[in-house]
Amino acid sequence: MRGVWLSRLRLEENWPVLTFVALLLLDVALKGRFSRFDLQTLCANALPLALISFGQFFVVLTGGIDLSLGPISSVAGSCAALLLARDMTTGFAVALLAGAAAGLGNGLLVVRFALPPIVVTLGSMSVWQGVALLILPNPGGEVPPELSDFLSSDYGVPTSLAALALAWLAASWVTSTRFGLHLRAIGDDETAARMSGVAVPRVKTAAYVLAGATAAAGGVTLAIATSSGSPTVGDDYILLSVATVVLGGVSLGGGVGNALGVVMGALIVTIIGSLLYFAHLSSFYQSIINGVILLAVVASPSVRNWIGLQFRRLRHAG
Amino acid sequence: MPAEAKTVRLRRALLPAPLSRFALPRGMSILIAFAAFSVVLIGVGEALSPGYASAANMLQLLKLSSFLGIVSIGQTLVILAGGIDLSVAWVLTGAAFAFTTVTRGQNSGILTGLLAALAVGAGVGAVNGVGVAKLRISPIVMTLATNSIMQGGTLVVTSGSPLGVPDLVRATATGSVGPLPTMTLIWAALTAVVVIAVAMTSGGRKLLAVGENPRASFLSGIDNDAVTIFAYTLSGVAAALAGVLFAGFSNTSFLGMGDQFVLPSIAAVVLGGASIRGGRGGYGGTALGVILITLLSTDLLMGNISPGLRNIIFGLALIGAVLSHKLLLRGESE
Repeated sequence: MRGVWLSRLRLEENWPVLTFVALLLLDVALKGRFSRFDLQTLCANALPLALISFGQFFVVLTGGIDLSLGPISSVAGSCAALLLARDMTTGFAVALLAGAAAGLGNGLLVVRFALPPIVVTLGSMSVWQGVALLILPNPGGEVPPELSDFLSSDYGVPTSLAALALAWLAASWVTSTRFGLHLRAIGDDETAARMSGVAVPRVKTAAYVLAGATAAAGGVTLAIATSSGSPTVGDDYILLSVATVVLGGVSLGGGVGNALGVVMGALIVTIIGSLLYFAHLSSFYQSIINGVILLAVVASPSVRNWIGLQFRRLRHAG
Repeated sequence: MPAEAKTVRLRRALLPAPLSRFALPRGMSILIAFAAFSVVLIGVGEALSPGYASAANMLQLLKLSSFLGIVSIGQTLVILAGGIDLSVAWVLTGAAFAFTTVTRGQNSGILTGLLAALAVGAGVGAVNGVGVAKLRISPIVMTLATNSIMQGGTLVVTSGSPLGVPDLVRATATGSVGPLPTMTLIWAALTAVVVIAVAMTSGGRKLLAVGENPRASFLSGIDNDAVTIFAYTLSGVAAALAGVLFAGFSNTSFLGMGDQFVLPSIAAVVLGGASIRGGRGGYGGTALGVILITLLSTDLLMGNISPGLRNIIFGLALIGAVLSHKLLLRGESE
């Protein structure tokens, strides 16, 4: 019985989910409770990271990488903090359009001039860091309290959980469309994709635009969650978004990964922070543990095979 | 590639016909571009603050450049081998803390301290190399992870309070020999060694071969893994050395002291004309790139330009540089 159950878990595909569940159980064991409030906090903290990482996910699927998504989210958050209080529609529209425009810039440079994504987005990272500082030189601005209240509210289901689920559904929908298939095809083998009729330049550019807009949504969420904007808030997400998608089982080589994994990656990073807090460990350990888990995950086609082998042995023995 | 054809067409459209057909050798065009840009940047600096173009000030700027220059040695070697090293930030900081913790500000501890710092650098670099070469982990992820671990490790071990530096190291990092800053001399010597090693030794050719086409280099009998591990180890050592000297320059080791070097070191390599995909370039170009970055950032500082605008100009300059490489050099550049 036990063996059958273990093999149903399909370790190979589901380990981001399983890692998260294991960490969640540890979290519950440490706290001795898991209330509605805990769930709400976890999701609210994971939401901006998940959104920015979805942006990274779209680009990484094509085999690229985007180092400018963090600063793009700073720009969007700064716009939101300046405009939302005056007029909500304008605030959201300007923030998201700014993100999409920033992504378009990256996309054009990468596609039109065949420049390496890491170099292009290294440059645009600096540009958008600068733009954020020009828009909002110091942390501040204002977000209507009803938006912040809405994000931390609970209508039967915590809003933040609903938002996270919605983001996941949207991202899985995008990756299940023809466009999503083309993203994967390009990441898998660009030449083959072109030969089989994929409009590589258009799809690739669209991936960067979508990434910019999604990261901008993450930046707006950050502004709402903290009730203010900050021009440097996104800098932490530059490399963290890359780490998150990798934790979620997305291959930096392109073509591999799914939206659920990305959500799990974001939840894993977030719950580690909460675990350390409740285990009374200094937050100094957070970066060590992030690094070790990241390594464990990527070193693990071989490590996972080994675990799978142990489980199979166990099954035969039991 | 259609995109490739497009850049060729653009190049023809942008350049007068004789020039576009008369493509200069790669090294030559980089030198000409460097000369043109540095004249402009020095001119701007002189206009903003008279005396900027003086020989004495140029030597000071070379001293300022030397720390980024030493970090970029490692970054160049790793990028030439087809990788990238994001861990230089906290290897530099961690090594600087190892040094200051061991020496406790005493000159007598310098040798042990230096060994400890370089051991930290070599250790992390070797781990990076093994992860990339043997475990086939993507270089970005591998060095990101070790950077994260070094960051936490440095915080946990030292609890992060700044520590003093032995006088001798401070004197080395800030002083001069005659009119020449000591750091400028150290950097010049290292530059000569690395340029020669990459361009003229068999090790350098192996490095380029692995970066250019790992399969071909493997088939021609090169131990790819050993070359890769060696490149990452040297990168760790270079970052550690820069950390010790930069701590001397700042008179203290402090948290986050390495963060300012990561992306500029990559930018310097790219500005220097090396391909980010590996296999092409050398340290000479990178050293020129480091100097351009220092000139640009001191110009921006003196022009009293807001930090926001400074970032924008820096980013646009980087994109402009790779774009013009693409458009002006022959199609072989990437």
